[in-house]
Amino acid sequence: MGLKKAFLRLATIGLSIGLMTSAALAANLRVLAWDGYADADWVKDFTAATGIGVDVVFIGSDDEIWAKIKGSEGQDFDVFAVNTAQLQRYIKADLVSPIDVTKLPNQKDVLPRFRDLTAVSGVTKDGKVYGIPFCFDSIGLIYDTDKVKPAPTSMSVLWDPAYKGKVLAYDNGEHNFSFTALTLGYKDPFNLDEEQMAAVKAKLVELKRNVLSFYTTADEAQQIYQNNDVALIWANYGQQQVKALQKIGAHVAYVNPSEGALAWLDNWVISKGVRDNAAAEKWIDFMLSKKVGGELSERTGFGNTVTETGSAGGNDKLVWLNNVEDPLKRSDMWNEVKATP
Amino acid sequence: MSEAGSTLPAEKRLSLLVTVLAFALPVVFVLVPLAIFLGYSFFSVDQGTIVYGFSLGNYVRFFTDPVFLPVFWNTIVLCVSVAIVCILLAYPAAYFLTTLKGRWRYALLMLLLVPLLMSYVIKIYAIRSILGLNGFLNKALVALGILQEPSTLFVFNMNAILLTLTLLLIPFAILPIFLSLERIPQVLLRASDDLGASGLQTFLRITLPLSLPGVASAASFVFVLAIGDFLTPQMVGGISGFTFGRILYSQFGTAYNWPFGAALSVALAVVVIAAILIGERFGRNPGTSA
Repeated sequence: MGLKKAFLRLATIGLSIGLMTSAALAANLRVLAWDGYADADWVKDFTAATGIGVDVVFIGSDDEIWAKIKGSEGQDFDVFAVNTAQLQRYIKADLVSPIDVTKLPNQKDVLPRFRDLTAVSGVTKDGKVYGIPFCFDSIGLIYDTDKVKPAPTSMSVLWDPAYKGKVLAYDNGEHNFSFTALTLGYKDPFNLDEEQMAAVKAKLVELKRNVLSFYTTADEAQQIYQNNDVALIWANYGQQQVKALQKIGAHVAYVNPSEGALAWLDNWVISKGVRDNAAAEKWIDFMLSKKVGGELSERTGFGNTVTETGSAGGNDKLVWLNNVEDPLKRSDMWNEVKATP
Repeated sequence: MSEAGSTLPAEKRLSLLVTVLAFALPVVFVLVPLAIFLGYSFFSVDQGTIVYGFSLGNYVRFFTDPVFLPVFWNTIVLCVSVAIVCILLAYPAAYFLTTLKGRWRYALLMLLLVPLLMSYVIKIYAIRSILGLNGFLNKALVALGILQEPSTLFVFNMNAILLTLTLLLIPFAILPIFLSLERIPQVLLRASDDLGASGLQTFLRITLPLSLPGVASAASFVFVLAIGDFLTPQMVGGISGFTFGRILYSQFGTAYNWPFGAALSVALAVVVIAAILIGERFGRNPGTSA
């Protein structure tokens, strides 16, 4: 008899603990983010300041974010981070909620270029704000300060015959068409018409003749730099790449070209299935604090939206990456460029 | 049927199971994937999604587009050259191994195969830094006075791919040649010697013909491995070393055009199968060339 009673009591306790934890979990803010966007100490500070618990899930690719958010129709997460090129897809699929910027006091103190969100292409739709810029980096130009004089100001230096065989470019058709379009002065590098495509392709064939090799990873570029005579690197990995090179003693500097540098921009967004909108807003506002922004740049090397960093000077022109008109066509034409003898 | 099955002794049933497995594994893991591949090559892509309808468009494009056939042909020539260079280097090495006695022979053979234990990517990285403008090769050639100044001849072009693939694949050439050389009965060589043949005559008329099957399989091994590689050309090929493997790779990665990639793979598979058949044909008839 006694045993049965004890067992029952145990079951009751177990049940109540179970209920308690699920109640606690229900109140927690569910965050989906890239590694480095929700470090443990920030989460701790956030919980201490607001009393809101946080569960963070880290992701490793754009496709993974889409799978997780789309898979649950936005019900599994409250806040997540996504880049400008991807965001429109989420808006179209009705997976994100508009954000009331007045609830984010820190947004008023961000860097000038991020203050007017309607001017940041990709984060708004029909006058509503869907994404709050958080982290970015430009794809600029790394140059060897001993070999390249005077300091370059435009990507057109990559075509300079003086640096023939000393240029490292990146092996990606989409980006190469975009940046060459900017160099040629086209307004919208992500939507090129037939004629512009042909012109860009011809220009890329010229570029290829000036290039030593096309790299794919930052490590690879660094290794090539160390073993060969390299003067200019089209820096797909931006600040991280510059800092890694400077660390090994290379005399290099970084510049965003005057015609505009391609740049990626990650934003905080609130999902459609948000449980506590106020908590989500508090999270985003907390992320826009000077402390978090500064530490983000210090730890990852990327630019943040509240303090000045090496990613971009205040007057640098940045062109936020967007989806291109036809990725398949760009890829095919890039192969044609590479196959041209 | 089921009645017969139930009366089978356990041993027989086990052997039946093993037989079924033996046939099922290659079917499931080799034939079915190949069939799916072949199937995909007849599909097409529209706006980033695959259209599952029959079309010969991919093959038409392969044969008519001015990009693909020249690259395809250049790649075949490159890989044949890799096979030839590998054989020329591997044959003396394998021959030398067979002249060694006892455990030295196998110890040295193992040493030659050690590179196979290392990561492929790391080897490419290492070779690339050796070939670079400030690399070991250039420094050595300049120090020896062979070159006036460091040369860019060895990296980021077709030469670099040829050199790198040769270095990477040479163990695959040494092994079959060594095995075929080792299998030649010593009595034949002694008989040849007794009958007054010179060392060179013995080599040309006995050793070489009898080792040709090994040479043929080594050549087909190396060729097949070389033509399927996309990483080496990607990493050391630079701007002029554009190979078929790189085009193929881009169809699955950035382009997201799996059907066209599948069609290109089928073209590659035809060449690979031909190479294997040729290798096997010579590997099986040691008598014909002797």
